[in-house]
Amino acid sequence: MSGVLRRCAFRLAGTRSLATTATDITPRLKTFKIYRWNPDKPAEKPRLQEYQVNLNDCGPMVLDALLKIKNEQDATLTFRRSCREGICGSCAMNIGGRNTLACLCKIEPDISKQTKIYPLPHMYIVKDLVPDLTNFYKQYKSIQPYLQRSKVPEDGKENLQSIADRKKLDGLYECILCACCSTSCPSYWWNQEEYLGPAVLMQAYRWLIDSRDEASKIRKEMLQNSMSLYRCHTIMNCTRTCPKGLNPGKAIAEIKKALATD
Amino acid sequence: MSRRVSGLQREVLQLYRQCIRAAHTKPKDNQPRFLKYIRSEFGQYKDLPRKEFSTIEHLLRVGHKRLEMYSAPELKDIH
Amino acid sequence: MFSKNILRLSSARAFQTSSKRSLTIPFLSTLPQAPGGVKGTVNDAYKPPAPHKTHGSYHWDFERVVAIGMMPLVGTALASGNISTVGDSILASLLLAHVYVGFQSCIIDYIPKRVYGKNHNYAMYLLTLGSLFSAVGIYKLEAEEIGIIGAVKQLWNHKEEKKA
Repeated sequence: MSGVLRRCAFRLAGTRSLATTATDITPRLKTFKIYRWNPDKPAEKPRLQEYQVNLNDCGPMVLDALLKIKNEQDATLTFRRSCREGICGSCAMNIGGRNTLACLCKIEPDISKQTKIYPLPHMYIVKDLVPDLTNFYKQYKSIQPYLQRSKVPEDGKENLQSIADRKKLDGLYECILCACCSTSCPSYWWNQEEYLGPAVLMQAYRWLIDSRDEASKIRKEMLQNSMSLYRCHTIMNCTRTCPKGLNPGKAIAEIKKALATD
Repeated sequence: MSRRVSGLQREVLQLYRQCIRAAHTKPKDNQPRFLKYIRSEFGQYKDLPRKEFSTIEHLLRVGHKRLEMYSAPELKDIH
Repeated sequence: MFSKNILRLSSARAFQTSSKRSLTIPFLSTLPQAPGGVKGTVNDAYKPPAPHKTHGSYHWDFERVVAIGMMPLVGTALASGNISTVGDSILASLLLAHVYVGFQSCIIDYIPKRVYGKNHNYAMYLLTLGSLFSAVGIYKLEAEEIGIIGAVKQLWNHKEEKKA
């Protein structure tokens, strides 16, 4: 583990030095305005703090800039990040007014413009850019995101599925639960205690149409009320904002269709 | 002679009461330490203005989370 | 002084950790909310409301049927400018149902029972009462007067008369 870490750190250092060789020209200073709020001083109001980053010796993505700020300017800046390649969904935040993953969002090269970075909108904040996702995960747990079958397969090994059935899961299983879509949904803003939100509903659909799953009756029953599913008013912010290019709006529409023709 | 308290103030009092009750479920010898901790934590924000709604709401959230954590029966003592 | 206070408060709220207080409708009493919107411990799953007889998919189906049913009626009414009294009354009642469902949706969204408790029910009663009045109005319009299409037509003509 530490070996991997060291190797990573080494590679990071390598790219840094490679990049810095080209910086002697003019520094391209880009201003980032970042939301800051410290839970240790709760009486202080949240504020936007400005940081200047030289784009010449910084990676291309917003996450690179954030890491650079944290490494070199302000170690107290707090945010979640892990994989830096858009597969873990940790670094979801609101960049330039749009929910996206910091690691997949390119820094706008126009240095005359500032980039504003906020945490995911309408969530309780733990610190700086870290939102409290407790409620989101509780909702995810409620849809029972696992295969439910009454008996084990005959050969005792795996539940087989045809290629066509597997194809139905494409565009659904890729979701990394970054909560970008849910927190961009106005319906979720108003009623997030009861409305499940696009991300969770897309996963609900993913388990609903899985040919190996046998609990679809319970899964559908759970959505038969005015709040859980039907607060979706096809605003489609979810599909527009999804950093992975998925379509939660369509998945919700498919659930509605499945429930209507039930 | 009851003073009228706002909803938020009532919530704070409720939390305080819950904390004290949780403290009394701990072993007898360690209870004073728990009580002292609770008093110091609440006393820290004694001077917070009444109108700082969002701050108080945040502190309530934190307090509830901490209460949940500390009231686990496995937790016997605090320093 | 007073306005200054309000300004200070609103600017402070605009930014903070999305306090629910700033989103509620003033002068309507609200219920106390669970801290952080989290009920139970962190590891409990969210509990959906119980299945409802008139909500869920039935409600949605009704909504769609009304909306789709209105399309040909409105289309023919616009094209011909005149349909039979029966067609006219169907159009009027469908329109009423459509508006009712729409407002119901708004109430569920913005005056949810979770936050407003009784006030949610009062809003629903108000909507139902208004709809009943409208239903009586539609009956009168259809039985004694010119019908809804006639009323719209009249509106049109009045405007032209005013212009002329």
